[in-house]
Amino acid sequence: MKRLVALAFSALALGTSAKAQTAGATLFAQNCSACHQLTGLGVKGAFPALAGDPFVVGDPKNPTYVLLHGRGGMPNFSEDLSDADIAAVLSYVRSSWGNHAPPLDAALVAAVRGGGAAPPKERSVLPGH
Amino acid sequence: MATESNGAAFSRRDFLQQLQGWGGTALMMAGMDALGFGIASAATAPPNLTGGGAGKKVIVLGTGVAGLTSAYELSSAGYDVTVLEARDRVGGRSYTARKGTKLTELGGEPQVCDFDEGYYINPGPWRIPYSHRGYLHYAKKFKVGLELFNNENEHSYIKFDKGTGPLAGRPVRKQEITADTRGYANEILAKQVRQGALDAEFAPGDKELFLDYLRSEGYLTKDDFKYIGTDGRGMDENPGAGLDPGVPSTPHKLTDILHSQTWRTLQSVGSLDMQHTMFEPIGGMDQLPAGFVRNLKPIIRLGHVVEKISQTPDKVTVAYTDSDGQKGTVTGDYCVCTIPLSVLRGIDLDVTPEFKEAITGVSYALVCKIGLQMKTRFWEDNHQIYGGHVYVDDPGVNVISLPSTGWLGEKGVVLGFYPQGASAARVSAMSLAGRRDYALSVGQKVFPEYTDSNDGSFSIAWHRVPFNMGGWAQWTEEGRAKYYPKLLEPQGRLYLAGEHLSYITGWQEGGIESAWSQISKLHKRAMAAA
Repeated sequence: MKRLVALAFSALALGTSAKAQTAGATLFAQNCSACHQLTGLGVKGAFPALAGDPFVVGDPKNPTYVLLHGRGGMPNFSEDLSDADIAAVLSYVRSSWGNHAPPLDAALVAAVRGGGAAPPKERSVLPGH
Repeated sequence: MATESNGAAFSRRDFLQQLQGWGGTALMMAGMDALGFGIASAATAPPNLTGGGAGKKVIVLGTGVAGLTSAYELSSAGYDVTVLEARDRVGGRSYTARKGTKLTELGGEPQVCDFDEGYYINPGPWRIPYSHRGYLHYAKKFKVGLELFNNENEHSYIKFDKGTGPLAGRPVRKQEITADTRGYANEILAKQVRQGALDAEFAPGDKELFLDYLRSEGYLTKDDFKYIGTDGRGMDENPGAGLDPGVPSTPHKLTDILHSQTWRTLQSVGSLDMQHTMFEPIGGMDQLPAGFVRNLKPIIRLGHVVEKISQTPDKVTVAYTDSDGQKGTVTGDYCVCTIPLSVLRGIDLDVTPEFKEAITGVSYALVCKIGLQMKTRFWEDNHQIYGGHVYVDDPGVNVISLPSTGWLGEKGVVLGFYPQGASAARVSAMSLAGRRDYALSVGQKVFPEYTDSNDGSFSIAWHRVPFNMGGWAQWTEEGRAKYYPKLLEPQGRLYLAGEHLSYITGWQEGGIESAWSQISKLHKRAMAAA
């Protein structure tokens, strides 16, 4: 009986993680792939590769911070993606294309956000330029 | 572009007004310079480069308006100018997509513009504010015809889905929202004033005038200051001939307007660079670059991709690869480099580490546009909307803009989306067909004719365009303080110029005035050395 429960539990965990992986892949394709490419290899001299990038697979708080605040040419996704979305897409990036870093959860993203309030982003109804 | 000064501007203005009082305009101008307003940032004419070029050779990199301005003014002044351009065309971001225009974004599918002959979209800059006197200077000089760009259309629609209530999720004429919002706001304010609640705000004699203003501004009734609508919000039936005075319309409820969020499109006055009068070049944004080329000696070498810029104390050398794959170099006394910083950071440069760091100290805008060719001008024929913008609150679209050219003609090209930032990242990740279908799906909810009428499209994601890698420079306050001043100064014999080195970023005017500013410095130095 114990064994059965354990089996069922691991199957459930596997199911959940596969589902999260799919969600992460979809989010990546929608929001990130225009620059970093579906291969995660980026474009040399233009968009950094995420495959094999020590920053991406290091302390998950750092890439989370970048998604929330932007960096260099990268926009901030704080208002476009929920904490769960950011956790899913970063977990996907950290475990794809040969990357083998553990996933992160929405709670960590919320902690990095600090108080849950997204930093206000300038979004005019009337686009400039 | 928001203005960068707020409260501080008033104290500076006070200071300048005092200077003017004491010492007249000359002292005030000196004061403006001292305060860092920079005469160059408000330049209205090219610098006067007298004295000839002293036989000096200048290499100009890039043929956007900054490069063309530099090349034109320096060669006119007597310098020996050579221009290298990476692409097989001039103009940089100042360009026009028309039948046969090709574009392949980084990581993207090849695209060929499939518009009919004579139709086009300006995928980059598309409107010229009246305050951009550098642009207007060259348009006049090179006889580039301009036409009015309708940047504001009261009869256009606002369609906001994120609000609530009866005005959300459907197209509403902007004139209704403007008239009703202001009408009610003026009515409420008038009520408070008439009750004496705001007496402390008024000097003797102000109150009656203020009430007159509120009544006039809000179309309030003469005696009791009520807003009951006005013909400018549109009529249920327009007046006609004979016995047809028309049927007035009924205002929306204030609460419905507030909760629809549509009032977010209203501002008391357009921002400095968004006001009437706005222009566009007749025939497309590539007409000004073409005007420069008509007036330049044949000194532009197309298809030359810059690989490296190296320097000695006396010379600067640019190494390139041309479109045949041949490598070569060109050497000059000075170099004016107008390559965007987003691209320059990937080029081998002979500069200090601090300068190199400064080049990477600015981000570039992610921004997309799509031109949709439509078989009929249904927005004119069926909706009586002639140019201007339809506002939507889907950040992947932002605005649907209707052409200010080809009025009452057969077909037209509509700007189908104009997303920026994270929304642009999302839109640009779609396939070309996906982008088109997305734009059509949003427009369809405003105009029932939209999808059926579409028969061509051309989209661009500037952050993925080789030799641009972004729409325009986006300086942060920190970057302006830490990096920007460094880039304004020459590195040895290398001078940078472009919209990125102005406070008018993302506008051609920034490129033109930056070029004026930098070539003035170059000329001063060349003359001193001669």
